[in-house]
Amino acid sequence: MPAMIRRYLALLAKEVQQLRRNRVLVIQLMLPPTIVLVIFGYALNPKVRDLRVGIVDESFTTESRAFIDALTENVNFDVIHQYQRTEEAEEALKSLDLDLFVVIPVDFSRILNRGQTADVQVVIDAVDANTAQIAQGYLELALQAYNNESFATPVSGPRRRLRLVNATHPAPPPGVPDVQPAYLYNPGLETSWHYVTGVMSIIMFINASLVASALAVKEKEIGTIEQLLMTPAQTGEMLFAKTTPVFVLMMVVLFLSLGVGMLVFGLPVRGAVWLFALAGALAALAGIGIGVMVATVSKSQQQAQLLTFFVNPPLTLLSGATSPLENMPDFFQKLSYLDPLRYMVMIVRGVTLKNAPWSALWPNLVALTVFSIVLFAISAWRFRKT
Amino acid sequence: MKKILAQAWKEFRLFRRDKLLILLAVLMPIVLMLLAGITGTLRLRNVSLLVYDYDNTPLSRTYLETYGAALTFRINPHRPQESPERALASWRGRAALIIPQNFERDFRRGAEPVVQLMIDATDSNAATALGNYAASLNTSFALQNGISRPPAKGVTLQQRLWYNPGLSDRVYFGTGGLGLMLIIFPALLGALTTAKEYETGTIIQAYASSLTAVQWILGKALLYVVIGLVEFVLCFGLGLLVFEFRFPSNPTILLVATVFYLMAGVFFGMMMGNSTGNQSAAIQGVQMGSFLLSLLLSGYLFAIRNIPIQIRWLSYCLPATHYVQIVRNSILRNAGWGTSFTPMVMLLILAFTFFFLNVVQMRKMQFKG
Repeated sequence: MPAMIRRYLALLAKEVQQLRRNRVLVIQLMLPPTIVLVIFGYALNPKVRDLRVGIVDESFTTESRAFIDALTENVNFDVIHQYQRTEEAEEALKSLDLDLFVVIPVDFSRILNRGQTADVQVVIDAVDANTAQIAQGYLELALQAYNNESFATPVSGPRRRLRLVNATHPAPPPGVPDVQPAYLYNPGLETSWHYVTGVMSIIMFINASLVASALAVKEKEIGTIEQLLMTPAQTGEMLFAKTTPVFVLMMVVLFLSLGVGMLVFGLPVRGAVWLFALAGALAALAGIGIGVMVATVSKSQQQAQLLTFFVNPPLTLLSGATSPLENMPDFFQKLSYLDPLRYMVMIVRGVTLKNAPWSALWPNLVALTVFSIVLFAISAWRFRKT
Repeated sequence: MKKILAQAWKEFRLFRRDKLLILLAVLMPIVLMLLAGITGTLRLRNVSLLVYDYDNTPLSRTYLETYGAALTFRINPHRPQESPERALASWRGRAALIIPQNFERDFRRGAEPVVQLMIDATDSNAATALGNYAASLNTSFALQNGISRPPAKGVTLQQRLWYNPGLSDRVYFGTGGLGLMLIIFPALLGALTTAKEYETGTIIQAYASSLTAVQWILGKALLYVVIGLVEFVLCFGLGLLVFEFRFPSNPTILLVATVFYLMAGVFFGMMMGNSTGNQSAAIQGVQMGSFLLSLLLSGYLFAIRNIPIQIRWLSYCLPATHYVQIVRNSILRNAGWGTSFTPMVMLLILAFTFFFLNVVQMRKMQFKG
């Protein structure tokens, strides 16, 4: 037993020496949690605002101007230009200067004054389906407000008689249920929190696998693996010695990214930090396992890196770190249960934002543990065979 | 020219020997594009909604039916004795709808019954959308049951959705995915082979040979641009099959842009390889510089206008931003040269800049003579 530990320590010393000289690796590990996290935390904002609107007012009357004012009171619309002819607006939409334009017909005010319903045409660039839908929603709301203000007929029926007492204060129609949304865990609706926690988990996993695969295959590529195999050290000891420094560095990265999240974005930590650390450790272990496994099937760093690149994006996309899992087709939702990163993301968000109860956290923790043990065991077994 | 071709041929023979590499280079873009195109959507569907109906009257059930009929929500019963806060904290639902006692009686009295909707706002964007959605469901419930008058009809909107009348997400993410795939793999291959020359030391041979820096770089890049073109054809085929792509009436724009784009990607990758001289660092550089930045800042997922102004310039330095725009212009909008001209010039400038940086890096080491 002591001999084993001695051998392990000797190998560990060798790995640490090698890593210390590898300054690129240190940068490689420290850059993502700091700069990347900050950039993405600020940059990722799926909210739609400042839609560029063009207007073709063929009616040119008081009514049409009032209508345009009502539509564009909304902060989400930016009127870029008033066009004389529809063709000009079409041209602008085609050359991406506009997101949508509104055409008010010549007979707009006459139709309104006759008491009929006037049609207004809206053309939306729908290539981005999501933005187009949101623009539609904004338009509908603005239109509703305009119609209610300008054309609403007074309330009739028995209720009105009762309300005459208080006729100076128009109240909403009686009886309509009132939905009161309460936003839990993130009442300020801070967008960055969601992404920062997601990206944090992704970094843990991807970096661990990339670095581990690079380290594990490097000796094979240079040929020094033969020297290692001739030493009395067992393959298991070699593997542990190789992965220990990576693991330690990954834990530093984990707390560094948590620190950046807390300092820069005010990310709350409402749950137990030790759970966060444990999940991070397990994720790093699973990531290292994947990295080593990839390294054992490839002959060169080139292959290893490409393979990790092949494995990682699906894991990222299926983890729910960036886009909600419910949106995906059923098959992909089921597939996501096979993604260790999914559990990591859940635990990170559960600990930082939600303070989720233990009863909800432990199944995720168990799943993550199983994944990391299995992945690490397979990688150790494969590593032995090489 | 001959020297460039010879260099490309040498690269090709190296590449051909690596079966796994060939397989990955061909298979990876297709699988990833499929995944990225299908999973990347921001629209909410089937969100699990926990229901706490403390009233349990015909009216409250009608109210719930309004939510159940919506595609966005899927109604789930809650566990007995579990508070909504606890259920949400345990991921049993994304939102909880609480209908108070006396919902129906308040309603008949003409008072406004208050319904509470608790939303898990860890994903703040989805939470806002859900809140708005619930409000509009509420209005439609009121309309259906004749509580509130139908909105006054003075003006109606006749909407026309251009280029994507079905509001299909696939078209949008498919075109973006194409751009994404074509920046990753050629750049990766370029970075790896260049870094490998440094690692194995064969770069010295290139320095010592009669090849100039320009010839060496072009020769290497040529092969990867060609591989990139093969990937483009494969991905475009996938786009036709799965992502509702259409053939543009003027394919030259797309083709020319693709070549420039691939060049920019390969040169960027080679630059990474040159400057790090280490395969794993080079790959990390490519992953950060081209994959992650392109994924998030190129307009693939989020509109560029929404990116804060302080880092928006970064978007314009990404080849992917301009390429995705050209792809969408030609495949979806079927627009001509007019709209694609500026992005094309930008692509050319970026490709040339990366190339120039490569030459500078190489020249420093090249033996004169």
